[in-house]
Parts: sequence; structure tokens; C-alpha cells
Amino acid sequence: MNHYDIIIIGGGITGTAIAHECSKYKLTAALLERGTDIGIGATKGNGGVVHPGYDPTPGSLKAKINVQGANLYPKLAKDLNFGMINPGIFVIGFTDADEVALKHKLEFGIKNGVRDLAIINADQMRNREPHLAANAKHALYAPTATVVDPFEVAIAFAENAKANGVAILMSQPVTAIQKRRDGSFLINTPDRQLSCSYIVNAAGNHADNVASLAGISEYQMKPRHGDLLVLDKDMANKPQTVIFPCPRPDTKGIACIPTVHGNTIVGSTATMMDDKEAVNNYAPGIQALIDGVHKILPELDASKIIRTFAGLRPVVLDNNNDFFIAESQTVSGFIHAAGIQSPGVAAAPAIAEQVRDLLDNAGLKMIPKLDYNPYREKRIVFADLSIDQQDALIHQNPAYGRIVCRCETVTEGEIIDAIHGVIPAQTLDAVKRRTRAGMGRCQSGFCQYKVIAILSRELGLPVSDICLEDRGSQQLCGPVKGGVK
Amino acid sequence: MKQLHYDVVVIGGGPAGMAAALKAKEKGATVAIIERNEELGGILNQCIHSGFGLSYFKQELTGPEYAELFINQVIAAGIDVYLETMVIDLSRDRQVKAMNQAGMLLLCAGAIVLAMGCRERTRGAIKIPGSRPAGVLTAGLAQRYVNIENRKPGERIVILGSGDIGLIMARRLTLEGMEVLGVYELMPYANGLYRNIKNCLDDFDIPLHLSTTVTNIIGHPHLEAIEVAKVDENFKVIEDSREVIACDTLLLSIGLIPENELSQKSGVSLNPRTNGPLVNEALETDQPGIFACGNVLHVHDLVDNVTLEAEAAGAAAATYALQQKAEAAVGEKRLAENKYSIPLVAGENVGYTVPAKLTSPTQKAGRILFRVRKPLENAAVIIQSGEKTIFQGKPRAFKPSVMEAVQLSPDQINELTAMCDQNSGGQPIIVAVQEVNQ
Repeated sequence: MNHYDIIIIGGGITGTAIAHECSKYKLTAALLERGTDIGIGATKGNGGVVHPGYDPTPGSLKAKINVQGANLYPKLAKDLNFGMINPGIFVIGFTDADEVALKHKLEFGIKNGVRDLAIINADQMRNREPHLAANAKHALYAPTATVVDPFEVAIAFAENAKANGVAILMSQPVTAIQKRRDGSFLINTPDRQLSCSYIVNAAGNHADNVASLAGISEYQMKPRHGDLLVLDKDMANKPQTVIFPCPRPDTKGIACIPTVHGNTIVGSTATMMDDKEAVNNYAPGIQALIDGVHKILPELDASKIIRTFAGLRPVVLDNNNDFFIAESQTVSGFIHAAGIQSPGVAAAPAIAEQVRDLLDNAGLKMIPKLDYNPYREKRIVFADLSIDQQDALIHQNPAYGRIVCRCETVTEGEIIDAIHGVIPAQTLDAVKRRTRAGMGRCQSGFCQYKVIAILSRELGLPVSDICLEDRGSQQLCGPVKGGVK
Repeated sequence: MKQLHYDVVVIGGGPAGMAAALKAKEKGATVAIIERNEELGGILNQCIHSGFGLSYFKQELTGPEYAELFINQVIAAGIDVYLETMVIDLSRDRQVKAMNQAGMLLLCAGAIVLAMGCRERTRGAIKIPGSRPAGVLTAGLAQRYVNIENRKPGERIVILGSGDIGLIMARRLTLEGMEVLGVYELMPYANGLYRNIKNCLDDFDIPLHLSTTVTNIIGHPHLEAIEVAKVDENFKVIEDSREVIACDTLLLSIGLIPENELSQKSGVSLNPRTNGPLVNEALETDQPGIFACGNVLHVHDLVDNVTLEAEAAGAAAATYALQQKAEAAVGEKRLAENKYSIPLVAGENVGYTVPAKLTSPTQKAGRILFRVRKPLENAAVIIQSGEKTIFQGKPRAFKPSVMEAVQLSPDQINELTAMCDQNSGGQPIIVAVQEVNQ
């Protein structure tokens, strides 16, 4: 049985950021993810805004960690080679009451240490966003705000952690946790037994369930559901800025968000739910998104919607909507990184530092590794290369000359790279998140059979075993006729 | 990077691309076809049912048979065919940037024929709520899996949308031993051709539920059921009609969209209603020397019509390219003739027209294609310019699934030139289908 200093439970952006942080030190660590890929819970179900930190109440844990985390992003994006854009945020006010609220947010931001915030007038707003609603009067402008692809960030964290020695283990739902007499933990999954000295619980919406396996009942969780939708890259009057309406107490409101890849995301609604597994879209939510975004951008063309999706934000109940990052008071060596709702993407790298300090406090010696490699090689993105580079690449390897996904110009070479990557893509959606094959306007109608064939060939599995995402999500059954397997 | 020169470059090697290339070659042009897949024929290759060629070849063929007749001609004619070659950019001056396993290519063309076809509307476009499981796919993708990849998508199938591909697939899946539980259509009428309703549904006792749609997708990680509900005349769900149907596969046959992202890179303007380029009677877009035909221009129900349209586009492209070349050789441009462009406008009950404008004066008849927006029991085509009626059809029934065609003689078109204002061009021609009270 393998013993680790640390086992991290949960491979979302929080867990992978923690794995990445741990990989900098002389210790042994493993990350257990219950799903078939990294970043497929709350991480893939949000808009990707790295909130700069004007929103949380000054003095809260969230306020501190939000700003710290957002400040870490530019360097991380460079070192780990993930996409990041800097569109800034407008929070739009329509009334005098809104202006008061915006000034309030400005104060929050200044107190929290957010740089370059300003209230701007209608002309200044329209200079940048000419299609804003006519009744928009003023905005809080946060020019430092960035946007990332959250699952790309999680994959980047996990890949760098793995390259620096952390074991990243997929399809490992934790079924039992036992605290032993010597203080160490015994962890069971359906096909493994592992032991460790410290547990970091980054299990997202299931953090309370994981804690209860260790006999901890310090908090309860419920998901706050959000519907989101994606618009085609090819759309007139695309916004250049992340645009929020003036926030209400329970939500930042329905925003439109330019993505790293040139799409526009509209999201999200906010409804407390009971079911932690129902990552569904709801008709009233989708309608609320369309109505909501039209209040900000009346001309936005809803016929350009190419996909709807949903996310469940993990909320720790009776915790003032704050994060819950602490060592358990009842079981020593068990660290919670729970309740990581919005702005979880922005906060992730700072949560990782906080958890490092908690581990250090709990007695784990954190000695920096001299051979730690902070860099992650940039993967080949054919569409981003110059024509001469493309030509040279095809001559090197003809697989880069075969387009599989026409909408996003993704080549077979890139798909093979993803399947054999540091964190290998084993499913259609894992390939999609890494390469964008199937992410475009035809939503894989033209390329799915090709990607299934490539996965089948590269993994040595029958096509009827290839899954969309989770176990049991095979897209195809057996042969129509004849003896073909 | 390899550079090549052709009089006519045809983008897409399906039925439209092949017919256009053959006609252009026949006119004396040097021609290349660029096809992204491994073989010519396009979607016809997966349409293994019969019913193709009845008007063009006067015999009933399967899709692959219809395609083969053209593939053989393309090979015999000496047209350069680039397979597994993807066009990634198209410029206003007709430079085609493409790629294949040998590297990047630059094709410089005298004229371009756009023949890239269309794509299927997806679940996202109609925003069906629910979970996002495996087992939900477009009808065309299912056709690929069953007819070419030899794979079943599932065992208990529901089809949303009564488009022709969905109807054809209802029959195909039934014949292959899968259970098709029903076809659901939001509209109060079927969207596919009458012959497909009869041959693919009625003959196999597959129910067609009109004014009914899918309101929820249930199951994770795989589809387990769908919820359907009736809608009223304003497409509002009738609450107490909701019903859950257990199934493992949902096929979507909810419409086709001409695929013009590439066309737009060259500056071609589109008709927002069809997403196809705005063309004149020669099928030339608003970018000189760039022509369009087949499903990239507007969605057809019969491939025979695609072939005819593509032949016209191929001929016009060759004429354009050869004329430009001749002018360049003598170093002078023929004087521009005094011509007018008369816009065509979709009037009452008409969704769109192709072409979107007519050139006058002309020696050629103008063929106007259009579809009605809704079924009409008794109505007549009326084409007017201002107060003047140019064409009046006989009363009959109309269906949106059937493409209509009206031919205007050169005289009918040229007569309008007299009414053209010297400065503002022609007054629009309005194509309408008006209901007739009996």
C-alpha cells in the first residue's frame, strides 16, 4: 500500500491548485478524483471570470483570498501556459440607487486592495461598449479583471503537479476514510487502498459527504445552481468587456463574458437546490439568461446560442456565503477547502497557499524542492500558428495536416497529443476540453465519429466503450449487423 | 507553401461541387475541387436510401449511386481533386488557403464556387432543458453511424423534428431492428416531404405527433427518458399534456443551416433568414467572381435541384474567370454595360427568394426559387413590381417543405428596366403567395 504525506480529495480547480502548490515541496502527495477527468464538477460549470475582488465584504476570508488569488494569475498563466485575456469588468448601473450600490462596491474594492477601480459615466462606457442598453447610466470599471478557461487552468495545475511528482489518480471516488491510532489516515476507493498523514478535502459539492466519511460533521452543504449559455464566436456586436448588472444580495447577476477563445458566455442564474448531482438546465433559467442579458445588451443575437450548460456552486450553509478553509476541529490532520463558490476560480491559487500554511501549522514540514519545475510546456494549437509554422509542423508530422473538427480547426495531431498528454484525455469531453474538438457551432455533429475512432484506436478500446464523460456515457452500442466488434 | 493557379476553384466535393466543377470544365476552364473528406460525394455517401435522380437521371438511385455517376465524370474530365483538404481561409481576391497532409496550399482562382453544404441545428440552438447525457445526437450523425460506421446509437429511439433526415432515419433504424417510438414535431404540420412521411412513417406504423415537442431530457450519464408536451398555437407548452417516455436515444432533425463561416471571410453578405449568400440570377454573391450553389446557398429537398443549380453556378463561374483572363490578356476591360440590379423581396407568406436580385436588361430567363412560411390550402403566387403584376399563378395548395420555382422571361424582366430610376436602380420585385377565397 502506498503511503503519502498528503492526499487531496477532489480534482477541481481547488484540488489541482493545492496539488500544484504541494508539488513545490519535498513531500509525497496524491490527488484522488472521482470522475474520469480533472475539472469536471463546478470547475467546468462557470463563466471563467477571475474576479478582481471588489465584491466580498472587507475583512472576510473570501475578500483576502479573492484578491490574493487574482493577483497570482498573470504569472501562473505565463508559467503554466494557459489562456488568459484581460477584458476588464463593467458593473452597470441604471438608477440612482444603483449608483449608490456601485460606489459601495468601489469602497469594498479599495478596502480589499483591488487596483485601478473607477466609476465611469455613460460616454466612457459606450466608448468601449457601443451596444450597451440606452438606459445604462454609469458603471464600476475594474480594468484588471481577467478571464480564463477554468478547466484548462485545472488541467494545467494538475499536469504541472504531476510533472513535479504528485500522483494524479482518476476514477477514484473515496468510499471510506479511517483515522488510525498512529494519527495517519486509511483511504479506500473501489479499487485502491491508500494511506496518508494529512487529508485535504477539496471535494467541491461533496466536501461535507467526504468529511462525514472521516466522522466529521462541522458543516452542511447545498449547491447553488446556475444555468449558463454559450454563443457562437461568429456573432455581430460581441462585447469586449465582462459586463455585469448592478449586483443583488444573493448573486452578481446575469453577465455576458467574452471567453479566451472568442465565444461569449451568458451566465448565470442562482438558485439553491437540494440535488448535488442534477447539473441540469431549466427552461425558466435559460429564459432568465436571455432576458437578463438583453437588459444589458438589447441587441445581442440569441439565435447565436450554440450550447446551454449548468453549474453547481458548492455552498457551505450558515457560513455567510464565505469559504470554509480550516483544519478540522475534531479530526487533526484533516484540512477543509470547502464551500468554494464564486469567486472560486480567482481564489484557487491563494486557497492553495492558505492550505499550505495550514498543513505547515498542522506539523507537516514544507521544505522547498530545489528541482521544482514551475513551467508547463505549451501544447500545440494548430489554429494559433502562423502559416509557415503550420506548414513546417505538417511536414514534421502529417497528423497535423488532418483537420478533424472543422468548426474550431482542430487537427488529428492535437487530438492524439491530448489522448497521450500528461493527464491523458480518455473521453470525448476530455478531448473537447483540451483541444476544442466539438466545442464549435456544429457541437460535434461532424467530428464526433472521427474523435470516437481516434480514441478507440489510440486507447485500444472498441468504439462502443468510448464515453462522453462519466462511466456509463457510451455514445454508441454494438454493430448494426455483421461480425464487426 | 505550395502555390497553384486555376480558373475555377470549387470548395466542396458533394453533389453541388461536382456538378459545378463539371460544368465549368465543360466551358473550358481549368478546375480544382477541394474536399475535406476522404472521398467525393459529400453527405450523399451516407444516404443509402433510394429516391435520388428521379428528375435529373429519370431513374431512381441511392445516394451513393447518384454520387458515383458524378465522381466517374469528375475523374474522366480531368478535374484536379484535392481530398482530405480543408480550406481555412478565403480572401476577397479569391485566394484560397487550404491544408492537407502534404502541407499548406495557396490556390489562386479566377472564380470561386462555394459548395460547402450545410450543417444540422443542434440541441443548443433550440435550448432543450434537462441533463446533458450520452444518447442525444443529430439525425445526420446517427445516419453516419448506422450507414457507414456500422454502429447503433441505441435501441429505443425518439426523433424530434419531422425534417427529411429524421424521417429517413426513422425507417432506417426500424429496418435495422431498433424501435422508433415516435416522431415529435413542434409545428402543426410536418416539415419533411410528403413522400417521406408516407414511405418512412406511415408504412411502418411510426406515429407522428404534431404540435408536440421535447420539454426535458432525463438521465445521467446516459439518456433514460424524455418528457414531451403538446403546445398551443403560440408554441406555449400545455401543462397537463406533459408525458415522460422512456428511451435511450434522441435524434434531432430540427433544421439545416447553410455553412457560410468561410464565405464571410471573403466578405460575402448573407441573407439573415437563410444564412445563405445573397446572390443574383447568375448565383454570383456580392463579391465579384465568388458564386454559390447547393445547400450552402439555401437548403434543398431534392439533390436533382442542387445539381441543376450547381451547373448554372459552375457555368457562370467559368464564364467570369475566362472573360477576366481574356481581358487581362489584351490589357483592357470591356466597357461596363449599363445594367440595373433589381432587388427581389419576399412578400406575404414567402420566407425568402433565391436569387435576391435580378440583373436587367438580360437575355436569359430568371428562375426564382422560394418557400412558403406555412402551409396554405388554396393560394396563388403573385409577383409584382410596384403596381404592376408581372406574374400570377393558378390557385393551389402550398407547403413549406416544397421548394417553389417561377420562371420570368427576359421580356418580363427587361420591361422593368424601363421603370428603373437612373440613380436608385430598380424598384423591388415582390414575390408573394396570397390566399384565395373560394
